[in-house]
Amino acid sequence: MNPLIFTTILMTVLLGTMIVMMSSHWLMIWIGFEMNLLAIIPILMKKYNPRTMEASTKYFLTQATASMLLMMAIIINLMHSGQWTITKVFNPTASIIMTSALAMKLGLTPFHFWVPEVTQGISLTSGLILLTWQKLAPMSILYQISPSINLNILLTMAVLSILVGGWGGLNQTQLRKIMAYSSIAHMGWMTAVLVYNPTLTMLNMLIYIMMTLTMFMLFIHSSSTTTLSLSHTWNKTPLTTTLILITLLSMGGLPPLSGFMPKWMIIQELTKNNSIILPTLMAIMALLNLYFYMRLTYSTSLTMFPSTNNMKMKWQFETKRITLLPPLIVMSSLLLPLTPMLSILD
Amino acid sequence: MLKIIIPTIMLMPLTWLSKKNMIWINTTTYSLLISLISLSLLNQPSNNSLNFSLMFFSDPLSAPLLVLTTWLLPLMLMASQHHLSKEPLIRKKLYITMLTMLQTFLIMTFTATELISFYILFEATLVPTLIIITRWGNQTERLNAGLYFLFYTLMGSLPLLVALISIQNLTGSLNFLLIQYWNQALPDSWSNIFLWLACMMAFMVKMPLYGLHLWLPKAHVEAPIAGSMVLAAILLKLGGYGMLRITTMLNPQTSFMAYPFLMLSLWGMIMTSSICLRQTDLKSLIAYSSVSHMALVIVAVLIQTPWSYMGATALMIAHGLTSSMLFCLANSNYERTHSRTMILARGLQTLLPLMAAWWLLASLTNLALPPSINLIGELFVVMSSFSWSNITIILMGTNITITALYSLYMLITTQRGKYTHHINSIKPSFTRENALMALHMTPLLLLSLNPKIILGFTY
Repeated sequence: MNPLIFTTILMTVLLGTMIVMMSSHWLMIWIGFEMNLLAIIPILMKKYNPRTMEASTKYFLTQATASMLLMMAIIINLMHSGQWTITKVFNPTASIIMTSALAMKLGLTPFHFWVPEVTQGISLTSGLILLTWQKLAPMSILYQISPSINLNILLTMAVLSILVGGWGGLNQTQLRKIMAYSSIAHMGWMTAVLVYNPTLTMLNMLIYIMMTLTMFMLFIHSSSTTTLSLSHTWNKTPLTTTLILITLLSMGGLPPLSGFMPKWMIIQELTKNNSIILPTLMAIMALLNLYFYMRLTYSTSLTMFPSTNNMKMKWQFETKRITLLPPLIVMSSLLLPLTPMLSILD
Repeated sequence: MLKIIIPTIMLMPLTWLSKKNMIWINTTTYSLLISLISLSLLNQPSNNSLNFSLMFFSDPLSAPLLVLTTWLLPLMLMASQHHLSKEPLIRKKLYITMLTMLQTFLIMTFTATELISFYILFEATLVPTLIIITRWGNQTERLNAGLYFLFYTLMGSLPLLVALISIQNLTGSLNFLLIQYWNQALPDSWSNIFLWLACMMAFMVKMPLYGLHLWLPKAHVEAPIAGSMVLAAILLKLGGYGMLRITTMLNPQTSFMAYPFLMLSLWGMIMTSSICLRQTDLKSLIAYSSVSHMALVIVAVLIQTPWSYMGATALMIAHGLTSSMLFCLANSNYERTHSRTMILARGLQTLLPLMAAWWLLASLTNLALPPSINLIGELFVVMSSFSWSNITIILMGTNITITALYSLYMLITTQRGKYTHHINSIKPSFTRENALMALHMTPLLLLSLNPKIILGFTY
């Protein structure tokens, strides 16, 4: 794509999310979402083939439906409260519709079906933007309307997302689908604690974005989109196998890596609010996630997977640039002792 | 406590910056020095604990375990030298780094004051152990073994996290130093029963309790020698240590909640001892014997009398040293014949007489011969369980008999009789191996002269 046009489109995506995050008028928020959606379609379709067309169409349809539902909720809110400012949504109907719309945008169960298919159909870099940047805008709206969200619906969606994210990823070998299911599960964790302490949602979002960014950077570096091709990294750059191991274990939420921090804080917050069975269930279902991460580490770092003889020569031809990888890796694995600093997120 | 933790952390840069011919020498020497520092902790002045800071402390229960942990690192390094000799330098350094990381986490676990910090470090010990088992194990079953190990432990310990946080909400602090003064009885309710279960299951899986022990034979057998040593000697004791710490907070539910686990342990110790009699795999035999000994520790911790606590602590230390030594002996067989089948390498007394002496001593301590500390541990546990209920003497007596049976079976199969003709070309024992066995045996024998340092905090 022409670099100027690509920059413009990327800036529009950024601008769309920024508008969503910084507006106080509901209409501007909707405009921001639409801008974001329309501008990201060309980015999703960077390679022009039927698979990306299908993925972009699916993305467009679901997100447009969600935007329309959002608009309906906004109008109902306008009818009942008479103003366009973003505060908590007073009317329960509008609140439920808005929660569903934002859940559709985020990819929470039962609206999660588009996430694996869209992520699989697009390139790794576009998948990266899809799974990290696109989550910021809906999450910021959820943060702002959090006092008025119906707890039953949100918690049901969250728990089901963790379950679906864990279970769905078990049968996958394609890395993008694995990352998609991992995204569904993490969104579940984030929304579970939204009503109790939205700061922790932001913390989880931050750490999730760091870890997903790291994972995608590592995948892009080894140009691998399947488990099989990832398992050849020990031939090319053995160091990345260690990095993949550490980041995957961090995503699985194992102490002492930083992926444990959001889970621990969320469990703490939920327990303080006297729900004990819920965090136990969530924690145990997160083990499903850990299982398929472990499977990835088994084929990548902990064994030397069989490969053909000329695999060892591939390192001479891999010259992809990886931006920001070392600090990302450090942040996605070693941040746990800095947990008291999360008060700055307030 | 930092005087132990920081040198252990610094062992990692030491390995990475050492030259090729100095890595083993450097790491073994410095880790031996660190274990000398930790010996000073055994001098516990009064019944109170030695408080080093708000975060670390050591009392008569954790000090012997700490000394065992630091003592074991040089032994693990010595034991691993042979099987790593053919690997590239970076992989050797990675292995030593994993061992050192594990050591750091273990030291911090045994000395943590805050129970949540204990939990985080308890879980953190899983990661290096998993990497050691899966990356450097020898057979394909190691992948399955790693998964079983990780998931059994995590399944048990995630409810522990929730339980610890809810106790923190109830009582305000989880700092162990405070809790011992602030203890109040838990009210009797259903949710407190689940709290009891959530707290104990993590340690039951780690110990392991008989019904949840499936991960142990897999993990012990598939792990390389250092992995087996640290698993048998220390990681199982983490479960015992955790149970000993947390039962102080869990009264009075323990009086009735303990019954199922007591039954499982009492039955399980006989079951696993009996399985040992039919094992063909040497490491598997030692693994099941670990389950059996740990079942005794579970019984001791759950009946909660002063003598049983003494027995539990002594048995943990004794079993740690004995089991680790048995694994080293089994490994010396494995390195020569590349097989763990017992009958493939028999009659070794004729070929390796000095090693046969170590086999004899290890088997004798395994069957709890007087005056070793194994006997002291087992005897205290048997006596306190007899006072708890007279009938347990039958089960305990049966267990001691069967333990003696399989220990002698192992000894006689590997050492006595005519040697097989295909092993008369094995290498003689290395000095390193003899030193390793001596370093295991010497603390064991010396402790029988002054067992009160390992008898724990109820002495």
